[in-house]
Amino acid sequence: MDLLIQILVNGVLLGGLYAVMALGLALVWGVLNIVNLAHGAFIMLGAYLSWHLYTYLGIAPFLGLPITAVVMFAVGYAMQRGLLNLVVRAPMFNTLLITFGLEVVLTYLAQLAFSADFRTINPSYAGNSIQLGTVVLPLARLMAFGIAIVLTLAMWLFLLHTRLGRAIRATAQNLVAARLYGVEPRHLYAMTFGIGIGLAGAAGGLYGTVSQINPYIGATLTAKSFAIAIIGGLDNPLGVIVGGLFLGIIESLAVLYIGATFADVASFGVLVLVLIVRPSGLLGKTA
Amino acid sequence: MNGLISKNSLIAAASAAVLAFAANPAAAKDIVLGASVQLTGPVANTGRYYRDAYELAVEKINAAGGVKVGNEKHKLVLKIYDNQSDVNLSVRQYTQLVSQDKVDLLLGPFASNFALADSAVSEKYKIPMVQGGGASDQIFSRKFKYIFGTLAPASNYFGSTIDMMKDLKPAPKSVALLYADDSFDVSVGDGTRPKLKEAGFDIVMDERYSTNATDFNSLLSQIRSKNVDVVLVAGHETEILNFVRQAKSLTVAPKMYSFTVGVPSEDFRKALGKDADYAFGMTAWLPSADLKDRWFGDAAKFETEYKAKFNYEPDYHAASGAADVEALVQAIEDAGSTDPAKVRDALAKVKFDSIYGPIAFAANGQIDLPQTVIQVQGDKLAAIHGTKGAINPAKYPMPAWNAR
Repeated sequence: MDLLIQILVNGVLLGGLYAVMALGLALVWGVLNIVNLAHGAFIMLGAYLSWHLYTYLGIAPFLGLPITAVVMFAVGYAMQRGLLNLVVRAPMFNTLLITFGLEVVLTYLAQLAFSADFRTINPSYAGNSIQLGTVVLPLARLMAFGIAIVLTLAMWLFLLHTRLGRAIRATAQNLVAARLYGVEPRHLYAMTFGIGIGLAGAAGGLYGTVSQINPYIGATLTAKSFAIAIIGGLDNPLGVIVGGLFLGIIESLAVLYIGATFADVASFGVLVLVLIVRPSGLLGKTA
Repeated sequence: MNGLISKNSLIAAASAAVLAFAANPAAAKDIVLGASVQLTGPVANTGRYYRDAYELAVEKINAAGGVKVGNEKHKLVLKIYDNQSDVNLSVRQYTQLVSQDKVDLLLGPFASNFALADSAVSEKYKIPMVQGGGASDQIFSRKFKYIFGTLAPASNYFGSTIDMMKDLKPAPKSVALLYADDSFDVSVGDGTRPKLKEAGFDIVMDERYSTNATDFNSLLSQIRSKNVDVVLVAGHETEILNFVRQAKSLTVAPKMYSFTVGVPSEDFRKALGKDADYAFGMTAWLPSADLKDRWFGDAAKFETEYKAKFNYEPDYHAASGAADVEALVQAIEDAGSTDPAKVRDALAKVKFDSIYGPIAFAANGQIDLPQTVIQVQGDKLAAIHGTKGAINPAKYPMPAWNAR
């Protein structure tokens, strides 16, 4: 029983990290209809940025997150303004191609700049934990989980209650009507992509404190984020949290009951099931 | 008009031929060694050992005059492609090396799944490949005649570790065996299981996990809940980094843990910092001055030169790669020819001392070298247990994480 509780706790904490990784992808996908295949590469860049801030400037990784997020926001904004706006209304295939190309370029630039060596963001407290009875809560994961919840709620409130958030939602729902009300889509798209990449950067900083960084972590993270976005649905940031938690718990239980080789089979199996049963996600509105 | 062109081009062709001949006056033909190595992609980190070792060995052998075939001295030339850590690309590149580039002989890629696929090319074209990157028993169980390997058999990676475990006090009993689901690690798992049973250990967990797994929390929670004494992991460096970090954050401290890769590599120990302490591993090679060699002098000198040239420490991958070049050169000289079939027969009989150890291949093409158990002790790497028993005392049992 203790083991089961511990595994569930592990799953929930893992899910929080997953959610924050997928948040930006879901936002960009929902609003711009761009499935950003380079999302994982941006997480990787965010992780390297946090690592540099920590290693060379001594900025604690959790304090460095806002810096990472802002820098990555600027990168994302510029990238949408200069590059992706050219294809934003092109068929989906074009956006897939261009983001895939971006993924390849960023990965190889990262290897040139940072080499293929492994890095870890490893402050003294990264391995600490809190003991609750027989259950152990790893501190870094707990903090990552807390930040994930805060970011998701902030995202939700932002989209619901701010002028910019409403403009983003309006553009996602009906571009023509939004323009009639004075929304400038190019700026708005760039803001949205910037926020998405900023979130990816923050996720990278968190990822680096619990895992390891190398230039090639991106592709698997994109796949995971993709699955979570689909499971949770694109309408609502809360769906992403649900998707992340769901996937984290499923994977942890799969390792316990079916065997460790099958963690990925389980998570992508769930993805297929969700697509069959609830195509617009667990929290999505059914069509 | 037509006549003019053909006349001009004839003159051009003739003068080009003369130039080419003049630029290369009667020099012995270079011997080209081809390889496809992971220079980019997820395993580039280990792939670079092979490129660097090949380069250094070729440079050294050329500086010593090259390869003696009959009365002529030939220079060695390397032709290396980057397979981007993609097995399919690597098979295509080896095919290109033998069919279009017409290289004389082949050196190997890193990793068992690559060697497993690429050895099909060397077999088909009957060009011998000496590879120091694939240890899986699978590579050598197909009765192939053109593949030779200088890594010790995967099935025996934990052999010396199990020997050591029998002597430890307090005696460990329960063992968790975890391995990734690729060719090399499955071979390690299959070889280790019967050895553990024979030695009387109790295998309480026997888990295969998916390659590139990043989350080990579930497995670690089970290790803790079953109070496992010894954890043996066969996997890749990235997985083992995550494993150790997550073990710390879940306060899982078995009496000992040992890993097939990572521990001998400087980069791995740097990434973990002091959390790498107490981790066991194994290596078939230590840069000792006792390993003599006709080109480098000895293994210690090899280490110094390697480090000076590439700015990082070589581990057994690099030594094994350098030994591959040496084995080919030795075989060419023994055969007195670069003819692939003759070199192949010479390789089967080759016997010489290298910086990596004594080189000789069994009938299946694989070398047999014992593994020395090593352990991270503070900022040092200590040799713990070899063929002749204990070398240095092991730090055992591993203390709890909060008692370090």
